[in-house]
Amino acid sequence: MTAGGAISGECSQMPGAAREPHLAPPLIQMRGIVKVYPPNVLALDDVTVSFAGGEIHALVGENGAGKSTLMKVLYGLVHHDQGEIHYRGRAVRFRSAGEAIAAGIGMVHQEILLVNEYTVWENIVLGAEPVDRLGRIDKKRARSEVQAIIDRFHFALDPDAVVANISVAARQKVEILKLLYRNVSVLILDEPTAVLTPQEIPQLFAELRALRDEGHTILFISHRLEEVLELAERVTVLRKGRVVATLPTAQTTRCELAALMVGRKVLFSSRRTPQPPGDVIFAVEGLCYEDEHGRIRLQDIHLHVRAGELVGVAGVEGNGQLELVHVITGLLQPTAGRIRVAGVDLTQASILERRRYIAYVPQDRGRMGSSLAASVVENAIMTHHRLNPRLTHWRGLLLDWRRAHHFTQHLAQHFNVSMPGHSAPLRALSGGNQQKVILGRELLLECPFILLDQPTRGLDVGSIEYVHDQVLAMRRAGRSLLMISANLEEIFLLADRIVVLHRGGIVVDLPAEQATVEQVGRYMLEGKG
Amino acid sequence: MGRVLNAALGIVIALTLGALIMWAQGYDPLASYAALFQFSLGDPYALATTFKNAIPLVLTGLSAAIAFASGPVNLGQPGQLLMGALAATIGGLYLDLPPLAMIPTLALLAMAAGALWSGLAALLRQVFGMSEFIVTLMLNIIADYFTLWAITYPFKDAAAYSPMTPPIATSGWLPEFGDWNSGVLWMLAATALMWLLLTRTRPGYEWRIGGQNALFARLGGCPVDRNFVTVMLLTGALAGLAGGLLIMGGPHRFLRGLGANYAWDGVMIAIVANNSLPGVLLYGLFFAAIQTGALGMELITAVPSEIVMVLQGVLVLVIVASREALHQFADRLAARRQAQRRAKHASLVESAEQA
Repeated sequence: MTAGGAISGECSQMPGAAREPHLAPPLIQMRGIVKVYPPNVLALDDVTVSFAGGEIHALVGENGAGKSTLMKVLYGLVHHDQGEIHYRGRAVRFRSAGEAIAAGIGMVHQEILLVNEYTVWENIVLGAEPVDRLGRIDKKRARSEVQAIIDRFHFALDPDAVVANISVAARQKVEILKLLYRNVSVLILDEPTAVLTPQEIPQLFAELRALRDEGHTILFISHRLEEVLELAERVTVLRKGRVVATLPTAQTTRCELAALMVGRKVLFSSRRTPQPPGDVIFAVEGLCYEDEHGRIRLQDIHLHVRAGELVGVAGVEGNGQLELVHVITGLLQPTAGRIRVAGVDLTQASILERRRYIAYVPQDRGRMGSSLAASVVENAIMTHHRLNPRLTHWRGLLLDWRRAHHFTQHLAQHFNVSMPGHSAPLRALSGGNQQKVILGRELLLECPFILLDQPTRGLDVGSIEYVHDQVLAMRRAGRSLLMISANLEEIFLLADRIVVLHRGGIVVDLPAEQATVEQVGRYMLEGKG
Repeated sequence: MGRVLNAALGIVIALTLGALIMWAQGYDPLASYAALFQFSLGDPYALATTFKNAIPLVLTGLSAAIAFASGPVNLGQPGQLLMGALAATIGGLYLDLPPLAMIPTLALLAMAAGALWSGLAALLRQVFGMSEFIVTLMLNIIADYFTLWAITYPFKDAAAYSPMTPPIATSGWLPEFGDWNSGVLWMLAATALMWLLLTRTRPGYEWRIGGQNALFARLGGCPVDRNFVTVMLLTGALAGLAGGLLIMGGPHRFLRGLGANYAWDGVMIAIVANNSLPGVLLYGLFFAAIQTGALGMELITAVPSEIVMVLQGVLVLVIVASREALHQFADRLAARRQAQRRAKHASLVESAEQA
């Protein structure tokens, strides 16, 4: 069974041999680049790669494969320990981003860094303003120069709009225009589509192609393989700091790329098996929340999740997901409505009382899900130390560290955590292993209801697959699950039903079999209308 | 291991700088240091004095370290110490129980007064959301003048010419065993007890996690608000106990300027020890040693005892600054070595392929 139109296709072949194409002579050549982040994280291990002028070249790889580090080395933000870079036939070593921009290489980061109160043109010229003879900013000239660039590249953008009022996609264009205004001819984009909705992506791609046709070189970091195949001419795959292959996109497939990235075969289809849902476990009725400024954040939410059912909550970030999660966990008190789990009314309950019924995997590992400075054991026993009487003596006052270590051992075995030791700080574990500790801790609570807030955010493909397996195992075991995710693919992969949050309200509640990605994307953007 | 290196580095650099300063001023650094350690560690009496002088430093250090490790920024140890001392004094003036009951009673009174003073800050924080950081600092000033008023008017010794109370009942005096004051036992017991509390019990676990990441602790089901109040009361009680023991072990009456700089030294010790409780005990003893030795050094050499302030200042700076720097330095060295290894490996592979 496949869920949703866009997600389909089994991988039928293992990767072929890496092929090395020969295009134009390289514009940029990076040779033998080694970067070690202190003390011993080998981020780039003898990377040799070249980029041709006027091509769109994608860099793919799991988290931590070294894509961003490699590009930051080129851009002068990170300094490599060994190796050399040749650009336009000369050896270069940029000491700062400013030097790289002056040489014509610019990078757009994942986070958008603009002054919200300024207009589009003000943001674009900021730091490189044209001035008149008295040293004052020549506003007229600045604005007309910006307008000229916008027209030249056919960006649909109003130069006088205030940045705070424009969409994320438009802000991203402003970031690109900032670089074009500085005459950059090599553009590095770090996961530009991560912040966009499905509908906004084609427009960006059209604009990037237009830039390429004008002679710009575009280096494009992504881990969405369909996009890479659609946009780029060549793709370089990195794994664990090494280049695995550079391939023309015309000669490769998504499956091949995924296998090269992970080093083994990956399944893209839903592994969800049909099963009849049980009783209603989690029920929310008429839930409303107004923030302290009187703004309505949640509006009359009705939601039911049955045993053995996984409901996915889709929506553009900032449409009430955060508030919904906080109201369920008890960090926020709803202004109206009821929350019941397994028949118990938890609307007024303390967080500890809720935690008997609600397992919770937060989206932010370091801020909400763990204390990175504390040891693995100390992180593993949180909440259990209150709910599991075996971990304490003397009316719960004395902790039994021996049993806590046993428990951690059990968790580590059950959830495949690899770590230097129980007493190592959680910070010493990789992101995937940290998430396994958190996931294991929450799933071992044996709560009837599991709340998952972006459970795979920031994880690499292998860890994502692992988390998905565990989530599906919980569904099979008859737990009821609610998953908030910014990743539609993930929702289609796992959910039985999909609800869409728009401006604090649920605009649609669909069985996953009847939904398509395009349809859900439209609801996310436009709500009911 | 790193911590020992850190401490050793700090002590060596501080002593070297101190020696340079003394040498530049024409004193003999070696003779001065010999005197300093002779009068603090050199004989059983000096050692006992050093331990006794460490009591208020270590107890206020424990108070600060527990507070900082658990989240609340309790900087009210000076005030809590004075209130504790006043309570123990008043108890000692009006009560006269057998020593076995008297001493614990006065200690409890001192702890209760310290806890009351920090509890006031906790209350203001819970009810009005006022920052305990500011409130505890302000309460220090109030405690300072309140105790001065108390020993100048209502509890003044009629026979004295300056503000001080009469001596407390002798049943409240801490017994001495030879050169050793039994207050030292209180200090060691408090350190051990607090260490057990922090590392072996559920509240200690919740406090520490809450201090590292309050939101995580809260979502995990820990009652963070209640824990905040408990930690404030406990750390206030520890500082109050420091004041009580100061009265019972030393002058046996409340004199003007009794609190001296003990509590601020305690806060400093907690910071230097990076909130580790065994660290507080060790640094507390070291600071007490150089403070005690300085007085002796002043007696037999011409070096003023204020040189110890220089030593302390340098010590704090070097230890706190080098803690992170040492880590980063070691990390960067390791990174460079690994990069060179990788590059060498890569060039070997390349030449092998060409051959």
